[in-house]
Amino acid sequence: MLITENASCYVSAFELLGSDLLTVRTKAAVIDTIQQTIHVEVKFGTDLKNLYPQFSLVLDAALDPKIIGKVDFSDLSQPKEWTVVSGNRKVRKTYKVYLTVQN
Amino acid sequence: MLLSIWGTQSCSDDGVYELPNAKAGLQNDLIKRSVGPNIVGSVIEFAYAVAQLPSEGNISEMMVEASIEGATGTWLENKSFDSNGSVEIGGAATTDGKITKVTFTKDTSAATLRYVYVIPEEAKGKSVTFKFSAKSTNGQNIVYNAGPYMISDMDMVLDLVAKDTEDAYISIADMKVYSAAEAAANPSKVDLVYLYRSSPANFGHALVAPNADDKYLPGVSLPSGLTNGTKLMKAFTVRDQQLARLQYGVYVDDVDLQTIDFTNAPNFITGMMAEYGAWVETADGTYKAYVYVNAVTSTTKEIRVSIKRLKVK
Repeated sequence: MLITENASCYVSAFELLGSDLLTVRTKAAVIDTIQQTIHVEVKFGTDLKNLYPQFSLVLDAALDPKIIGKVDFSDLSQPKEWTVVSGNRKVRKTYKVYLTVQN
Repeated sequence: MLLSIWGTQSCSDDGVYELPNAKAGLQNDLIKRSVGPNIVGSVIEFAYAVAQLPSEGNISEMMVEASIEGATGTWLENKSFDSNGSVEIGGAATTDGKITKVTFTKDTSAATLRYVYVIPEEAKGKSVTFKFSAKSTNGQNIVYNAGPYMISDMDMVLDLVAKDTEDAYISIADMKVYSAAEAAANPSKVDLVYLYRSSPANFGHALVAPNADDKYLPGVSLPSGLTNGTKLMKAFTVRDQQLARLQYGVYVDDVDLQTIDFTNAPNFITGMMAEYGAWVETADGTYKAYVYVNAVTSTTKEIRVSIKRLKVK
């Protein structure tokens, strides 16, 4: 990806798809760019082992590691982590994704 | 340039279009009308056209010989159609073994007849060829060879209705729906339990393996002996044309079921609606299937499904 002078580094939106490629969220994900956390509530009956996260990032930023396929979110006590890297590649912020299942 | 293009399309020097002259002799052509996997019980359909100049004679017979005898219901049309309706141009088709024939009774120098081949069980996994032929009253014969066409190894069943709770037990092995009593008598054959719950939210219509956690079988008293650990994966937009019979040109073929990977697949699916589907692998790995949801009715707690199944072990 192109390196720019942009130092902004944050997640702007988050989507989570199931194996049917439809959203499993019950409502919009709650993203805290200060605490660097993303809280998502998923529908009852979601297959937590086969989910496809989709991050929307600020202009020019990159995600590490890249998402190349299904992700296993079944261990709810251990949030998954992704690092956002700014356009100038100098700022790195690690986000934790917390899932809860609707009752 | 436009004038020169227009000029090449006319058949006469003065620019007036004239009908082209038909070639002499008996002629034929063939179109295969059916598409998608050729599955036992379904049909392969063709339109076979034969014609010759009226001055030469009329068609006396049109015939199709299949390399594997078709199942009951294999037929050849004996009518010609136009915008005013139809006229019988021959006696009803007769089928003798592999050969289906129409003998013409009306003077006709051109006809297109539909041939429908019902795929027999004997053809499963094999290839089939067809020899279309015609004879005319002036002694001419013509042949059109078609194929080979591969016949799928899949089985298919349409419109099974499962009801919560009377007939809630679906068998991929037997391609049937069982009642509780039948399920108790054949526990190893039961692969899926259907149930509908209005709460918790998003539970809705569900297909669940007998060995699933109790929270995915709320209020269900399973018949004794049901333990199969079926694997399922939820699907959407896989509206297989032969199962759904809707406007989508998508087909689940043998290779889809041969290659699909069920590693880490769950043993339950909730929130099923019409046009959703489930990829299924039986507990013993013998069968992989695609279960398409034709319809769901929440008030009567029913689901109507159609299934394509492949024996992989």
